[in-house]
Amino acid sequence: MPKIIGERIKRNEDPRLLTGEALFVDDVSIPGMLHAAFLRSDYAHAYLRSIDTSAARERPGVVAVITAQDMGDEWQPGPPLVSPPPTVKGVVFHSRPQVPLVKDKVRHAGEAIALVVAESRYIAEDAVEDILVDLDPIDAVVDIEKALHPDAPLVHEDLESNLAAHLIQQRGDYAAARARADVVIKRKIVIDRGAAGAMENRGIVADWDAKSQHLTVWDTTQAPIPIRNGIATRLGLSESQVRVIAPFIGGGFGPKMMMHYPEEILIPWIAVKLGRPVKWIEDRHENFFATTQERTQVHEAEIALTKDGRVLGVSHNFLHDSGAYDPYGLTIPLNTQSHVMGAYDVPNYYSDLKVVFTNKTLTTPIRGAGRPQGIFVIERLLDIAAKELGIDPVEIRMRNFIHPDAFPYQREIIDQAFAPLILDSGNYKPVLEKAATMIGYDRFVKEEGPRLRAEGRHVGIGLVSFIETTGVGPYEGARITVEASGKIRVATGVGTQGQGHFTSFAQIVAEQLGVGVEDVHVSTGDTSEFHWGTGTFASRGAVVAGNAIHASALAVRYKILKLASKVLEAPEEELELEDGQVRVADIPNMSISLGELALLANPLRGAVEPGTEPGLEATAYFGPQYGAAAFGVHAMILEVDPETMMVEIKRYVVVEDCGTILNPMILEGQIHGGVAMGIGNAFYERLVFDENGQLLNASLADYLIPTASEVPRIEVGHEETRSPLNPLGTKGAGEAGTIPVPALFAQALENALPDLNLEILEMPLSPNRLFELVQEKERDK
Amino acid sequence: MKLVGEYTFDGPREEVWKLIRDPEVLSTALPGTQSLEQVSENEYQGEMNVRVGPVGGVFMGRLTVSDEVPPESLTMTVEGKGKPGFLNGSGHVQLIAQEDGRTLMKYDGEVQIGGRLASVGQRLIDTASKSIIGQALDTLNQALKARLSAQVTGQAVEYKPPSETEFAASVAKDMAGEVFSSSRLIWIGVAVLIIIIILAIFLISSGGS
Repeated sequence: MPKIIGERIKRNEDPRLLTGEALFVDDVSIPGMLHAAFLRSDYAHAYLRSIDTSAARERPGVVAVITAQDMGDEWQPGPPLVSPPPTVKGVVFHSRPQVPLVKDKVRHAGEAIALVVAESRYIAEDAVEDILVDLDPIDAVVDIEKALHPDAPLVHEDLESNLAAHLIQQRGDYAAARARADVVIKRKIVIDRGAAGAMENRGIVADWDAKSQHLTVWDTTQAPIPIRNGIATRLGLSESQVRVIAPFIGGGFGPKMMMHYPEEILIPWIAVKLGRPVKWIEDRHENFFATTQERTQVHEAEIALTKDGRVLGVSHNFLHDSGAYDPYGLTIPLNTQSHVMGAYDVPNYYSDLKVVFTNKTLTTPIRGAGRPQGIFVIERLLDIAAKELGIDPVEIRMRNFIHPDAFPYQREIIDQAFAPLILDSGNYKPVLEKAATMIGYDRFVKEEGPRLRAEGRHVGIGLVSFIETTGVGPYEGARITVEASGKIRVATGVGTQGQGHFTSFAQIVAEQLGVGVEDVHVSTGDTSEFHWGTGTFASRGAVVAGNAIHASALAVRYKILKLASKVLEAPEEELELEDGQVRVADIPNMSISLGELALLANPLRGAVEPGTEPGLEATAYFGPQYGAAAFGVHAMILEVDPETMMVEIKRYVVVEDCGTILNPMILEGQIHGGVAMGIGNAFYERLVFDENGQLLNASLADYLIPTASEVPRIEVGHEETRSPLNPLGTKGAGEAGTIPVPALFAQALENALPDLNLEILEMPLSPNRLFELVQEKERDK
Repeated sequence: MKLVGEYTFDGPREEVWKLIRDPEVLSTALPGTQSLEQVSENEYQGEMNVRVGPVGGVFMGRLTVSDEVPPESLTMTVEGKGKPGFLNGSGHVQLIAQEDGRTLMKYDGEVQIGGRLASVGQRLIDTASKSIIGQALDTLNQALKARLSAQVTGQAVEYKPPSETEFAASVAKDMAGEVFSSSRLIWIGVAVLIIIIILAIFLISSGGS
């Protein structure tokens, strides 16, 4: 069998993308289509006293103006996407899901108050301005540390406080570990908010065909099937009456996994009401308010060690910012808890989590999803411990890695799926050694660094490690069909937002069926093609959908061999699949093409044998027992300009172990993108709110996304520790590039400014902020 | 946002007080003012139509004057709302007679802004506000000098306020040093707009009572 999995194959989808022939939601245009715009609140926290929409309704070209009142009984909050954890004792969770339109109180700036539908977007936007809305502003909850103060205003007035959730997890006995520790280090660590900044904003087109009683929705979602199910439920339709298509999408990164955004209910709803197609495309300014964000947490963290640098325990009390509502449950902070022990054998752990409501856009997972915060906490604590104990930062990590024999390794806490967190497999040391070699760690520390510093240059090196829990269930599925043309059609339910699914999935199939990768056509994200599944999130495409496709390919291969054996009159063991043909081994002229076989399997006359099915087609599903844990090490050399505090990244090395690699080129692309996002998280991207909950940098002129000049060439190395949890042995890698970058930046910056004894305990930084930190240190000197 | 500063007028305090209480003069110092009316003893309403670059719209402001000590000082509270967002604030204005016959104005205000004003205009506010307040106060000072000159000579001196375009151009020029990219002019526009509005309400407050 020719090896196709693991090959660097150029992407099947790129010609369409590069020539502008790929369909995006905004490309959908239907005769008679109307356009929607939303009136959004300027205030972060305000009572809605009255709305007068009469002028907007009278504007020529306006078809409908909808407020919460106008929706009547059809106005319903939620539903929540993730339920609270049932398995932890004493957990507090107050579910307050988002609402379609503000009814009585605005809870964050940008919350939608009214929907206008008109003949054009221009008219709709003008009509939005015609609406007179009386908002009575009240004090806003912005700072998460003040949110639980007894005098704090309440985001949800039916609750006693702004506490959304409280959860304690522990392993072993941290207090006892602390008592016998040689060194205890305690720090406050603050991580602030950022945006996903996908190139394509959100968008929805809904088209109701009254004659066929069928609704088609194009949506920039990462989860077309759950969206289809939710729309059907909300609109009282059968699931078969609703088709959701998630076409090509210009980046997901997590916020497009949120469901249902108010717009995802309202646009289909109004399209059915009006009996006309309706389009809404989010603009960039709206995106800064209406699309979910992530990262804000404040940790009071502590690590206890022996004097030779062995970690005895980690403890942290932390606050997590939920924003105004909490439909996504505890996924992000549970991920944080799952990663605060990093890649290390931490026998004792205590974690007290409080989630708070604030008057800000809600938070849901963004690439990394709570993991960057957890990794930042543990890697920072280890760096500070290493300094205090006089141990090299690389050495202290080596000493604490989970031993390769310890897998599967029980963390003894629950993960985001509310199941016991188990790290399935890993071999960490070789990954770290490879990264250290690639970046020339020893040479830099001993020769290069001192030489450059002697020249007066502020250069620094960093090296951090991380784990990533990936590939969680529940399941995905796929259907594979051999067509009469000999080409292969694959349908799966996950959506695609640039991950290369059209190629990596095709490689899995091509290897089993002996066809060219370009002859495998993959369809993702169309519920009429495949309608069982959950979505593209949690770095699970290659693991869960990949293995479902693998299982389905094996089933089709079995059917091919069975039929070909009969036709070619040769035993199955002697058959091989290659070049789109089934051949008898060693007798090259005894063969039949897959297309011919497909025709024979679907005869127009005669009979299909009892107990068999027509066609060369199979559907299969895969659900992992639990998630697979990937591992990686990032290393960098950077230089700080002491005048401007700008940072130049000289070298950037990633060594990733995500199990079996389907396509190294696609994997490296994922890592490059992830690192770019991580660089943003570390040094550029911070959403700045004032004390009234006003976002002060809601444009790409002020919110800085790294560009080609800030992202260095990234050198990627690979190790492959197969996951035992799935036949392909894959682990996820979609978020890996992002997770450790803030921790790495902090370490390298401290290393570059050794005289200052800087301690970087916050993210994101900026040249400004770094300047302030340096100034503070220089004043203290 | 804090708005703190001072300005010296070339004339005596009583004349400055009269000037800044004259809505007619104020509306010329701030081009785009459409109306300026007293709605109750200490309450005023103003409406401005501002268009700078691609951003524009009618902005309505309401303010309350309190703690008035003519011709020394007053405090005002403002609320403004319009397409580009909202602002709420309060400020204290003081006029101090100088030995040389001139008048020092000190202003100290705190303004909260929201909506598009805050979310896209934030970066340029400080620079823009300094520039616009300076331009507008210069215009008022010209008007003051014209009045004083008329009192002396008995003849009205022609006072020609700057047009809306001249005003905006002048502000943009001040800001050019801070902004290098012309693609970012839109943000200047927004910032200019904000400050014109803030200042309008700020000065309107002094002008009515």
